[in-house]
Amino acid sequence: MKILVPCKRVPDPDQKLRLNAEATDVDSTALTYILNPFDAIAVEEALCIRETTHPDAEIIAVSVAPAEGEDDLRTALAMGADRALLVEHDAQLDSWNVARLLAAVVEREQPALVIMGKQAVDDDANQTGQFLAVQLGWSQATFASQVEFTETGLRVHRETDLGIEIIHVSLPAVVTADLRLNEPRYASLPSILKAKKKPTEYTTAEELGVKPEPRVRLLSMELVHSQRNCEMVTSARELILKLRETEVIKG
Amino acid sequence: MIENSSDVVVIGGGVAGLSTAMQLARRGVSVTVLEREQIGNGSTGRAAGLLGQLRGTAEHTRMLMDGVKIVQELEEQAGAEIYVQTGSVRVAETAEREKEIADLVEMGRSIDFDIAPMATDELAKRMPYMRTDDVAAACWCPTDGHLQPAELAAAYHKVGRDHGVRYETSCPVTGVLLDGSKARGVETPRGEFYAPILVNAAGPWSHLVAGLTGTTLPTAALGHVYLTTQPDPDHPVDRLSPGFRNRHHRIYGRAENGGLLVGIYAEECAEYDMETLPPDFDMSAMKARRDDFHLAMLIHAAQQRFPWINERTPMHVTTGIMTFSPDGLPFCGQLPDHEGLFYCSGFSGHGIVQSPVIGVIMSELILGNRSTYDIASIEADRYWGVPGFQERDEIEQRCHKMQGSYYGRLEGKSADSKTDTA
Repeated sequence: MKILVPCKRVPDPDQKLRLNAEATDVDSTALTYILNPFDAIAVEEALCIRETTHPDAEIIAVSVAPAEGEDDLRTALAMGADRALLVEHDAQLDSWNVARLLAAVVEREQPALVIMGKQAVDDDANQTGQFLAVQLGWSQATFASQVEFTETGLRVHRETDLGIEIIHVSLPAVVTADLRLNEPRYASLPSILKAKKKPTEYTTAEELGVKPEPRVRLLSMELVHSQRNCEMVTSARELILKLRETEVIKG
Repeated sequence: MIENSSDVVVIGGGVAGLSTAMQLARRGVSVTVLEREQIGNGSTGRAAGLLGQLRGTAEHTRMLMDGVKIVQELEEQAGAEIYVQTGSVRVAETAEREKEIADLVEMGRSIDFDIAPMATDELAKRMPYMRTDDVAAACWCPTDGHLQPAELAAAYHKVGRDHGVRYETSCPVTGVLLDGSKARGVETPRGEFYAPILVNAAGPWSHLVAGLTGTTLPTAALGHVYLTTQPDPDHPVDRLSPGFRNRHHRIYGRAENGGLLVGIYAEECAEYDMETLPPDFDMSAMKARRDDFHLAMLIHAAQQRFPWINERTPMHVTTGIMTFSPDGLPFCGQLPDHEGLFYCSGFSGHGIVQSPVIGVIMSELILGNRSTYDIASIEADRYWGVPGFQERDEIEQRCHKMQGSYYGRLEGKSADSKTDTA
């Protein structure tokens, strides 16, 4: 069985962000990028499937990114993915077009399962997995917090605002990972060394026969400023006094 | 008095600067602390907070014994409980490390430091989550412990404030004002701050601040990483479990919140060019990649002593930047080129534990030009004009090499050099 894990390269959301001069995007100079944390959960889930029910599973990490995206694919390989595919693309893409590229990769690789993060922490769109399932005509199980194989498909726990929804989907399927699906591993020393020898293949939208047709245009961006005045307090008593002073608590 | 004018301007609101400012203010000096970010944001905020008093030499051990006393006094003045006295152990696997421990026990006892050999079965009883079957020798320092660095910074800050220290945050120093070769003040985006005495306690940025006056300070910014496991019911770590140092595997650690904190001084570490980091770089936002090589080295080393730790152990990873010097010791005092420009930097991973006594030493140097401690080994000018310690690349190479050998070398009488490590 093949498992495809789309991996998005995202700016580390904990760092301070600035906008470019035209205010059309985040200023990418000096930004640190990471593998989207939800995608790391998806990689971990694929590894768990291989380690438990499907020892023959081949795990393919795929990314749509500029050439530097290879770094983040390397993370997936070091965690344990078997091989990587980078769809080199420099321009920004909306979720629909990313899904089209991923669908073309799915056509080529024919995996039985696609596992990916429920959303990426840069744009928080939460669309690509759903779009991909629709484009492929596959089942989808989003916001997964538990995935089990059954004889006919997958039993998936979905985290919804109303509670855990348990559904059954047939394969092939797209599963999107929620935060509590697992705790992703770090790469061990031997697996980091091994990952250096694992193959990464490069392709382009053109080679995949996809011409991106933007449906969403980013008009402008602005940073949200929070004016927080931090003050250090050294005791609970001092904290309570401050809270009273600022009338956060009364009495 | 002119606005923005004080007796001393301290550049850097980490533990080194805060402790110095507090000690000066207690002695009646007016002090302004300028911090580029928030108080305690840099290396201080990323530190593991171990307070081990045992060092390779008697003089440094004595300084750190006094440091713990200062922390305990500070607790009273700040009205906060900071110090967690857990005791600490050192473990040895090899014959030469066994000898090293025996030497350290002898040295410690000679200066009335509370230290004793510890039998392996006692070690296993105190630290049931640690592998002990391969331990040849261990020693026990019951008065060692740890603290949360943010709480120490807050205590320095509070007591300093009570004594009139002024703190300016989000206030990076961009220039140094001189009157001939004498310090006059600093420039910041928020205006000029005047003082005849400046203290460069800018941690990893301190060589850049030194550069503002064309001065070479031989420090380098090196990466460091430690992990903190989440509480594991199969391997509970009591809150008061001893701190540990295992120099053979290059690791140290302590209990933290039901889990275990483990850090490493590996042979290799990351290097940072502080000049190319964004001006508003926030050290507290640093994180390790899942395939970080240094982290993998740490996990591997931790596993040798704590076999239940592996790459799948639920853990929090902390990465930060340390300021290393070529000999692992700080720079305290003035350099020959400028009068009134004091240095207080290069703590090489031991800023928290050294900060209490360093504040005393700095205030003594600033007010009386001499210290009650023997500070020959930490004087700021020890590399002044020494060939091989002047260019950035050679300085970085030497600091990197020092970091790599930090836990590798032997100390005490077994050491072949006089330099000190812990």
